[in-house]
Amino acid sequence: MNSIMYDTYTIFWRELKRYKKSRSGVLIRLIQPAIWIIVVGNIFSETQPLIQSVGFEGEYIEFMAPGVIILTAIFTSIFGGVNTLWDRRYGFMNKALTSPISRSAIALGKMSAISLIAALQASLIIGIALAIGVTFPNPLMIIPIMGIVILFSLGFSGISVTLAATAKSQETFWGMINLLGMPLFMLSPALFPLELLPNWLAVIAKLNPVTYTVLLVRELMTGVSEGGIPILISIAVIFAFVLTMVAITSYVFTREVNKPF
Amino acid sequence: MYAIETKSLTKSFGDLVAVNDVSFSVEKGEIFGFLGPNGAGKSTTMMIFTTLLKPTSGKALIAGFDVMKDAKHVRENIGFVQQETTVDEYLTGRENLLLQAKLNHIPKNEINQRIDEVLELIELSDKQHQAVVTYSGGMRKRLDIAGGLLHHPKVLFLDEPTVGLDIQTRRKIWQYIKKIHIEFDMTIFLTTHYMEEADNLCDRIGIIDGGKIQVIDSPQNMKNALGNEIISLVVNNNNNHDLFLAELKKIEFIKKINEEDLKLILFTSNGTEVIPKIFQISSDLGIKITTISLTQPTLDDVFISYTGHEIRDDKSKFNRKIEHAKMKRLRA
Repeated sequence: MNSIMYDTYTIFWRELKRYKKSRSGVLIRLIQPAIWIIVVGNIFSETQPLIQSVGFEGEYIEFMAPGVIILTAIFTSIFGGVNTLWDRRYGFMNKALTSPISRSAIALGKMSAISLIAALQASLIIGIALAIGVTFPNPLMIIPIMGIVILFSLGFSGISVTLAATAKSQETFWGMINLLGMPLFMLSPALFPLELLPNWLAVIAKLNPVTYTVLLVRELMTGVSEGGIPILISIAVIFAFVLTMVAITSYVFTREVNKPF
Repeated sequence: MYAIETKSLTKSFGDLVAVNDVSFSVEKGEIFGFLGPNGAGKSTTMMIFTTLLKPTSGKALIAGFDVMKDAKHVRENIGFVQQETTVDEYLTGRENLLLQAKLNHIPKNEINQRIDEVLELIELSDKQHQAVVTYSGGMRKRLDIAGGLLHHPKVLFLDEPTVGLDIQTRRKIWQYIKKIHIEFDMTIFLTTHYMEEADNLCDRIGIIDGGKIQVIDSPQNMKNALGNEIISLVVNNNNNHDLFLAELKKIEFIKKINEEDLKLILFTSNGTEVIPKIFQISSDLGIKITTISLTQPTLDDVFISYTGHEIRDDKSKFNRKIEHAKMKRLRA
């Protein structure tokens, strides 16, 4: 157990080193969520009455800011696994596989690095949100929000690492990511209140872990509880999601990397 | 106990047999080379030894541990330097070695000293804090090799260590490999398709072709077995060719004859005495010799004598099948 922690940290360390050396990517990845929050936040500002109808008193942009924080986390983490494919193509994977470290540790190290990177990106988006006038009733809430973003991204990066381990080509990987990323974001209350969704969509949204994360972050950020889902349920769903993804990823990753590439 | 021992090792992909019933052993401290053309089964064998592939049947023991049942112990005792350079370009040389040290569980208090030691050995100490992206191909390869021996493995695997490097760099890498061998007293198992490399580095060579080992011996013995001279001759088109061959085979010094159409390659000793005899036979049969030459055998000739084709001859049917199988796996 001790050695799996050490090995996970080794891979984590390597991934972060690589991230640090590719600084230009940090800004590029911020452009999309920044556009969401600035452009979409303002385009939809007239929808305020809709939001008020479910008990939310602020501006639309304040309603959707938590959604964009989670958007950043979703896309940073779901793209994050792509270097698994490079590692397999360019031999780092074989180097790791012929060393005594465990296969799960490779997957877990990648996941934890991706989740930290996603959290960093999300914190930059929080900065942008603050800069354009979104306010926090309680600034200390930023700490639990970051905790949730890290946890959530850990689970989501599992999806990415699993897909990358299974996909044999870049094309398959990107296809799968596109298939999953946007629908998971759209089928959540990130942009619109859960109460306003038609019933059948609301049912689907309630199966989506993104939903619980958005609700939780929104509640911590604005103080407004929405959708009638208690905080504890949301936290429990997020934990269950993360644990499931850790288990699935370790299993699938170990199985896949043992096959020849 | 041998450093490497295999018994009837076989690996097939579908109905393609990449490694076919291979049995051999490598002594501790030996530099052993696997020589063969692309697609001969060299890399597949190495992937089995390094626990990246499971054999279909048969057995392989590395440093006494079974690659199937005891993969973890095998991994603790091997270093593997892959054909393509696998160093992280955006990390510095030292960071790359640090990563390798951590992957191989080198105790924390020894890591720095080990890294200094190998950096000195491969003469990269002064460049250690530069990003690898600034290194030349040869420097990257040296760094890769250094990473493979950081944890003092019992067996070091080098897959085509000098492929794609220029001839001076290649010689330099050979020097490092010899240095490593002396300094750490490691068993080194390498694959190559360069004759010169095998001749230069290896104590013993296994020639592998079509997934089977054709012969194992020291480079010197292999060359000696062919006699110490080679006569190549080209004759004109004639009706007595078979008879001519039969007569040549009767000459006592001729050990082996390879023929490609009208070109004959005779492996022989005492070539200077053999040549007049050849002329005698040919004039008796009315055959004209257009060219004739007498040379010393090289490992190239050894290879041809065992496999019947040249090492650069990649176009055999067997290779196409391998490539096809690879493509199929990639598409899945």
